[in-house]
Amino acid sequence: MKVSLNWLKEYINLDGISLNEIVDKLTMAGLEVEEIINQNDIYKDFLVAEVKEVIKHPNAEKLSICKIFDGKNILQVVCGAPNVAVNQKVVFAPIGAIIPNGNYEIKKAKIRGIESFGMICSEDELLLGNDSSGILVLSDDLIVGSKVTESLNLNDVILEISITPNRPDALSHIGVARDLSAIFNRELKIPSISLVEDEKSIFDYASVEVEDINNCPRYSAKVILNVEVKESPSWLQQKLKAVGLRPINNIVDVTNFVLYEIGQPLHAFDLDLLNDKKIVVRIISKNTEFVTLDSKKRELPAGTLMICDSQREVAIAGIMGGENSEINFNTKNILIESAYFNPSKIRRTSKLLQLQTDSSYRFERGTDPNITKFAAERAAQLIAEIAGGKVLKGTIDVYPKKISPKEIILRFSKLNKVLGFEIEKEKVLIILKNLGFDIYEVQPDEVKVSVPTFRPDVEREIDLIEEVARINGYDNIPIVPKISVTLEKKEDHQKFEDKIRDICIGLGFYEMINNPLVSEKEALLTGNPIKIANPISVDMSSLRTSLFAGALNSVKRNLNLGNKDLMLFEIGNVFNSRVQSEINDFNDFQEKQNLIIVLVGKEQNKTWNYSEKSFDFFSLKSYVNAILSKISLEKFTKDSYNSNENEIFIYYFQKTLNDKIIGSGGKVKKQVLELFDISSDVYLFEFDLSEIKKFDIPVVKYIEPLKYPKIIRDFAFIFDKNIFYEEIENFILTQKLKLLKKVELFDVFESDFIGESKRSLAFRLEFYDETRTLTEEEVEVEFNYLIEKITNNFNAKLRSS
Amino acid sequence: MQENFNQIQKEFDKDISQVSSLNDIEQIRIKYLSRNGIISNLFDKLREIPKENKREFGKSVNELRDYITNIYEIKKKEILSKSSQESSKIDLTLPANQIKIGSKHILTQTLEEIKEIFKSLGFSVFEGPELESDYYNFEALNFPDDHPARDMQDTFFISKKFLLRTHTSPVQIRVMEKNKPPVRAIMPGRVYRNEAINARSYCTFQQVEGLYVDKDVNFSELKGTLVSFAKQFYGNDLKYRFRPSFFPFTEPSAEMDITCFLCKGKGCKVCKNSGWLEILGCGMVDPNVFKYVNYDPEEYLGYAFGMGIERIALLKYGINDIRIFFENDIRFLRQF
Ligand SMILES: [Zn+2]
Repeated sequence: MKVSLNWLKEYINLDGISLNEIVDKLTMAGLEVEEIINQNDIYKDFLVAEVKEVIKHPNAEKLSICKIFDGKNILQVVCGAPNVAVNQKVVFAPIGAIIPNGNYEIKKAKIRGIESFGMICSEDELLLGNDSSGILVLSDDLIVGSKVTESLNLNDVILEISITPNRPDALSHIGVARDLSAIFNRELKIPSISLVEDEKSIFDYASVEVEDINNCPRYSAKVILNVEVKESPSWLQQKLKAVGLRPINNIVDVTNFVLYEIGQPLHAFDLDLLNDKKIVVRIISKNTEFVTLDSKKRELPAGTLMICDSQREVAIAGIMGGENSEINFNTKNILIESAYFNPSKIRRTSKLLQLQTDSSYRFERGTDPNITKFAAERAAQLIAEIAGGKVLKGTIDVYPKKISPKEIILRFSKLNKVLGFEIEKEKVLIILKNLGFDIYEVQPDEVKVSVPTFRPDVEREIDLIEEVARINGYDNIPIVPKISVTLEKKEDHQKFEDKIRDICIGLGFYEMINNPLVSEKEALLTGNPIKIANPISVDMSSLRTSLFAGALNSVKRNLNLGNKDLMLFEIGNVFNSRVQSEINDFNDFQEKQNLIIVLVGKEQNKTWNYSEKSFDFFSLKSYVNAILSKISLEKFTKDSYNSNENEIFIYYFQKTLNDKIIGSGGKVKKQVLELFDISSDVYLFEFDLSEIKKFDIPVVKYIEPLKYPKIIRDFAFIFDKNIFYEEIENFILTQKLKLLKKVELFDVFESDFIGESKRSLAFRLEFYDETRTLTEEEVEVEFNYLIEKITNNFNAKLRSS
Repeated sequence: MQENFNQIQKEFDKDISQVSSLNDIEQIRIKYLSRNGIISNLFDKLREIPKENKREFGKSVNELRDYITNIYEIKKKEILSKSSQESSKIDLTLPANQIKIGSKHILTQTLEEIKEIFKSLGFSVFEGPELESDYYNFEALNFPDDHPARDMQDTFFISKKFLLRTHTSPVQIRVMEKNKPPVRAIMPGRVYRNEAINARSYCTFQQVEGLYVDKDVNFSELKGTLVSFAKQFYGNDLKYRFRPSFFPFTEPSAEMDITCFLCKGKGCKVCKNSGWLEILGCGMVDPNVFKYVNYDPEEYLGYAFGMGIERIALLKYGINDIRIFFENDIRFLRQF
């Protein structure tokens, strides 16, 4: 919210306090000043000048060559505005001045061959309004050569303050002044009403009926007759422009002034456009079309709270008035509405209509129900002053159930306990009093206060504690020199994933973090997607069902950037729906943590001492085993292979643990890669970390290293090609040979020479006994036995070594 | 005669000690062991020796020959091996091969650093789901229905009752539901905001939530703990301030700022000319929150805080576009 410092000073004396201190103290009291616009700095170089001569530019249709007098010299200026004319008083930017809109410096220039020594400014260029159609023409009585900071009163400081949603009371100048009054312990001056009322009673000219008292607990109104609708005086226009509002006419401007002065939104109706001069506040029972005063036709759903006259809707309550009853330049008689609406009703309607206004913004945060009458009278007084007219006697005030201030007890001991230090009682009481709290019943350890109705956020003792703490200053809360370590059991639920990350980077993988929001198409590839009800875009309309799509998108980006060799991993949560209907329960979906590893390109590039090697299925298998082995799980897992393709892979394998699948992966199919515009081979494997975490990994027990020598024997067989290695290895290991401890494949060889449907597999066998040294003879017995068994079982042929 | 042998041996010892090249050793061979060498000459002399001395003389010549041959061979081998090393000098400037070293994402590294500090201060580490219910994300955190506070966080909705969590604060509720005080934990995790994606904001980021509930927790301790964290993380000479703010689940609430480390507090683009950078939000746990988890607000007090990892990493490493974190360009990942 924009706040004018000059305006603020009408409610509090800030003499002797520097701008820096005001800004700093406001921020440190919770009213964060986000921007300071100091007009004294911005407009310091601009002068009032007079146009002495205007002639057409010889080389440009739309330009004029002007001679202007800046109080000292006659200067030549090229001007592009259509409205420039002799004898005008204008705002002149001399060479060196910085134009506020765009922040650029005026330099001596040659425009289409003609020299120009400055610029005549438009409202828009000066950020004094939106008009950019021509130059700003000033009133004739201004002194040529004077600084605009003085002659136009451009000496204000505008503060952009960020007001948190709990502080509707601070959404006005008096509200901010009240905080300043507490911060600096200075008096807050609230303007008093001095109304000259007509003898005629308002009750003879208008009536108000509130049908829905829950959503409109209070409705106050004033009527002014015979006003003259015209432009507002400059003091009013200037105030509104300072806070970023566009002046409209004196009536509407007054309602906006009061809004920014005390925070009460008002609405002015043309009384003669209200049928039967009657206001009815009610909920509409069917969908209705309504044209708001911004000339937009809106569809209002049944249930909307409306302001109506005896026959039709005239305003959306608390949000925006209607075109049918708005103030126009023919308006004579007006009714000022000053109401209190139920905050959540206004918020719901505003959300539904996607229409937020200065009014709705304040009503939905909670205005002061007990200020409506004051606000209506304040507006009536100002209107009478600047628009003439007679204010009718009395105020219509429908307020059947008065909303009274809450009473809260603050215990000084609790205050000190929460903050961790002691604030003097006197100080506490002064702070609360300056903030508008009524104090009564001061006891040794407690004080009873009544909370003003403009502070709907203060409901409990803790809220009072915050008020005292923020005004006293958080900086004044001391810091404990030490903390105690509590002795409850310490846990780290991320320890496992941290370990997995360490393992992956140790193996050479780089960690990715991908956006979990993917397209529905991508999510459908690997599971049952959960859709976002209000997505940013189609590309991000579902939660990922696995880490697959994110990984492939990162692969694609890297390939496009020329990064061809990739070892990537990611740990992240994935989401799958368990139901067809919408998610209404935690059982309706599964959220689990996965790990994906991805291999693309070369495992080893050609160098002077290494030969090139591309990643393949067996690289993938090796990394998968390495990861499982580092978490001591490899020996508990089983592999199952599938050389037939599925939706994702050309061929793949799965790891199971206790018959539960804990991961699967392989070589990604071309058709799938095409969806991601990838032409390289991609090998990937995705682990289900949540499932793995469930497994109780036994503590590793020490095994004494072997004390006796091993005996190594090699042999090679020619097998039929369609016999899997795994089958042979299993066969060897299930022969229950006492001395054979390990089988290793060390060569695979295919050639026409041994037959087209054949291949040669060479094995290395390890024999040993933990308790003694073996003899060659006993090893020979097992070795020969094995040769015979393999030969017979697989119809294999031993190759002579 | 014997003296003569000793003389030769001494001379040989002297000669051999000066050998340093293949040429030197060849000179030794020629001098002592060649056909015209000293040993050969001595054997020639044997004929001239009287019969009674012949045997003794022969024995001495043999001994001398063995002695010289033996030492000669050893020296020769030594010289040979030395010279062979020198002759096959290798080019040590040939390039090394790149050993594969991976790395953790810079966001993970930043989070780990934060976790490390809080663990050392006695905090546990807990987690919670990203797909959360309205109850945990808003209601139990004292965000009333239809309250403008809900606008503070643009939410991705899944259904009426479920959403993508907008902050890690719901984990506070989950941890308190399962544990009796004292509870001292941090809760890192991913959160989502329905915001336009640009250089400054992204639709998802990571937060670290913190919570401490016990009988005597106060604002002074909250300040102390967070200042200790900030000093460990950003440097011991850092300046800071706590300024009042608003979060529905803490009361009083604060935001912690530290001196902008880009401009050292003078004011720059990044700190919007304020000289300060906001690094976290915090406050005393609101009594209403305790009611939702059945803690007695009269008996217990607590503090909570939360910070965004991306923001911290952007500032710390001078990264100017948040989207870079999620592109996973290997050239970016390799830098950390
Ligand atoms: Zn800065």
